[in-house]
Amino acid sequence: MRANPLTLVGFVMVVLIVIVASLVVLLPPIGQALVGHPVSILPYGPNYYPSPCPTRIVTTGNFSYPTCTLPPSTEHLLGTDNLGRDMLSRVMAALPLDLAIGFVVTAFAALLGGSLGLVAGYWDQPRTIKGAISVAILRLTDIFLAFPSLVLALAIAATLGRGTLPTVLAILLTWWPYYVRLVRGEVLVVKHQPYVTAAKAAGLSDLRILIRHVIRNILEPVTVYYTLDVGTVLVTFSTISFIGIGVPLDVPEWGNMVEYYQTQNLMGIAPWTILAAGGAIFLTVLAFSLLGDGLRDVLDPRSRRALAQAAVPTTVAAPAALGEA
Amino acid sequence: MTEPVLQVERLSVDYEVGAGTFHAVQDVSFELHPGRVLGIVGETGCGKSTLAHAIPRLLQEPPARIRSGSVRFRGIDLLKLPRWQLPRVRGTGISMVFQEPINSLNPAYRIYDQVAEAIHIRRLRESGQAPGLVSPQEPFDYSKPKMPKTGEVLLKPLVPSRGPASRRPTFSKDAQDLRVTVLEYLKLVRINDPETILNLYPHELSGGMRQRVMIAIALSGRPSLLIADEPTSALDITIQAQVLTLMKELMTEIRTSILFISHDLGVIAEMADDVGVMYAGHLVELGPVDQVYRDPRHPYTKGLLRSAPNKYKAQGPLPSLPGSVPNLSRLPGGCPFHPRCVLAQADCTKDPGPKLTKAVDAAGPEHLAACYYSKEVPGIP
Repeated sequence: MRANPLTLVGFVMVVLIVIVASLVVLLPPIGQALVGHPVSILPYGPNYYPSPCPTRIVTTGNFSYPTCTLPPSTEHLLGTDNLGRDMLSRVMAALPLDLAIGFVVTAFAALLGGSLGLVAGYWDQPRTIKGAISVAILRLTDIFLAFPSLVLALAIAATLGRGTLPTVLAILLTWWPYYVRLVRGEVLVVKHQPYVTAAKAAGLSDLRILIRHVIRNILEPVTVYYTLDVGTVLVTFSTISFIGIGVPLDVPEWGNMVEYYQTQNLMGIAPWTILAAGGAIFLTVLAFSLLGDGLRDVLDPRSRRALAQAAVPTTVAAPAALGEA
Repeated sequence: MTEPVLQVERLSVDYEVGAGTFHAVQDVSFELHPGRVLGIVGETGCGKSTLAHAIPRLLQEPPARIRSGSVRFRGIDLLKLPRWQLPRVRGTGISMVFQEPINSLNPAYRIYDQVAEAIHIRRLRESGQAPGLVSPQEPFDYSKPKMPKTGEVLLKPLVPSRGPASRRPTFSKDAQDLRVTVLEYLKLVRINDPETILNLYPHELSGGMRQRVMIAIALSGRPSLLIADEPTSALDITIQAQVLTLMKELMTEIRTSILFISHDLGVIAEMADDVGVMYAGHLVELGPVDQVYRDPRHPYTKGLLRSAPNKYKAQGPLPSLPGSVPNLSRLPGGCPFHPRCVLAQADCTKDPGPKLTKAVDAAGPEHLAACYYSKEVPGIP
């Protein structure tokens, strides 16, 4: 943390994002119960458009035409879109869904892939039933890994049809194989460590060793990978929506907002609409990437050593390096 | 004679790797009686560690494969036991101290958790809540009287310590009780200030301290057989002496049977009652330490003992055996030592090689050697 201030930035951003998302979800019912009428931290409902909307006249070349898009102002901090909807409201309303997708889909993928990886790594003796199961898991993983993840997710999402749940399923189905590989590799390293042999010699059963000694020691790389992955899943989800086979248009979601405003040709006359949605994706992914990178530095002893060496002035580090060699 | 704790009969272990089959242990037979310490000595790669790991079946199978033989531990044939029952023998029946104290403790847990885990398992088995195949035994009657250690008898339950409160709150009586037992075992292995050590992680301890903790964990199962696989070879020389002294003292207190693996003839002389000498996977000589050392009856043992520098350096350059250790995948036929042996005759090259039998003219009946010409060994210069 001290060595890399960006970790702190990422951490604070993630905390803020999570707080805002929880408020968007939690405040309306709690607020209504408290004060007796609907309450929200959103300035307007995400799909609310004033009718008739305040219009402004846009002139491009020889054409002049009215549009509901308003540039950012004190009333609409991020401006309004072509239907007069407040962009800040829409971006914030999309936050819970996008964040939940990032966290939950990745968590499910990590759990599913992780469990399979544990089995494949821990019981890999050839010529046994358990070994056959682990080989089957690995070959299945290979089949899934043979396709680029985005293409496979798109194919599945397109097959299942448009909707939030099909998109989630599509990502889930493409995301678990990476965790199988990651966890299996880590398990293979850990299970040949002398402390696992020592635990066996102390009379612990296989299952107890797996749960108490192996899982505990692979947790760190998996946590780091998970944190970095939240951002990737979010981008993939938005990409699927952007292409137009993801979330329906009436559900506020960053990817489909970008897609919708782009099809409405708003980049020229109202760039703030696309930038607001795209910026939200950018900031969220950046936050998780910074946090993930920082976690890796903190949790991984190898890069921790590298950090410690980088922190020492080179004149001091040189003899220390010689001594180690 | 009491019934042996451990009976190893014609045990053979192979490693099957890409380059071929390596016969790491060949036809090794020995018995270990209650309260005795059997030392196994031999050079690097002679199969000592493989033997040590094969007994509680801790070998990685594959590449290792136990080809034949039997290992009877208190009446149970460990090699016939289904794999899932093995954990029930380990810990409370057979426990082990390993070569590398650096990596033998889980880096993710505090010392307390790791010692407590072993004690917890033993208690579950003692109370019948978890199945154990062998009941943990109270210390054996020793077949050979030993000097009792002067001073406090550390195995007795200690009064709960009034030291600084642990950072880990202990609520229930069971947890408090467990903590006292953990402290007892840490005190048993002469750890100063065990209250502090409890809350430390393994990386915060030195190698010697870690090995002490490993010994505490191994002993906390109250095993009938303790296998010590070169417990001091990874430590530096002063710490080695400390750990050996500790183990020597513990032997008189705990009186467990011990299988002590080492490459150091001096350490074996110090620690063991009996000694087995291994060469290229074969047990070539077996007998009481004083007899084997005074009057070796296998040419290899003779060669080993003859190269002790502080005893023989006055007589000029130390002798060396001609040739080198055979490749374990292509052992010579007959006696594995015959290509390097000054006594070798034509019959030494014929299969099967010499069996471990009573050495001719040896001082006692327990002195065994696998050599047709054991009578002539004392004549080798």
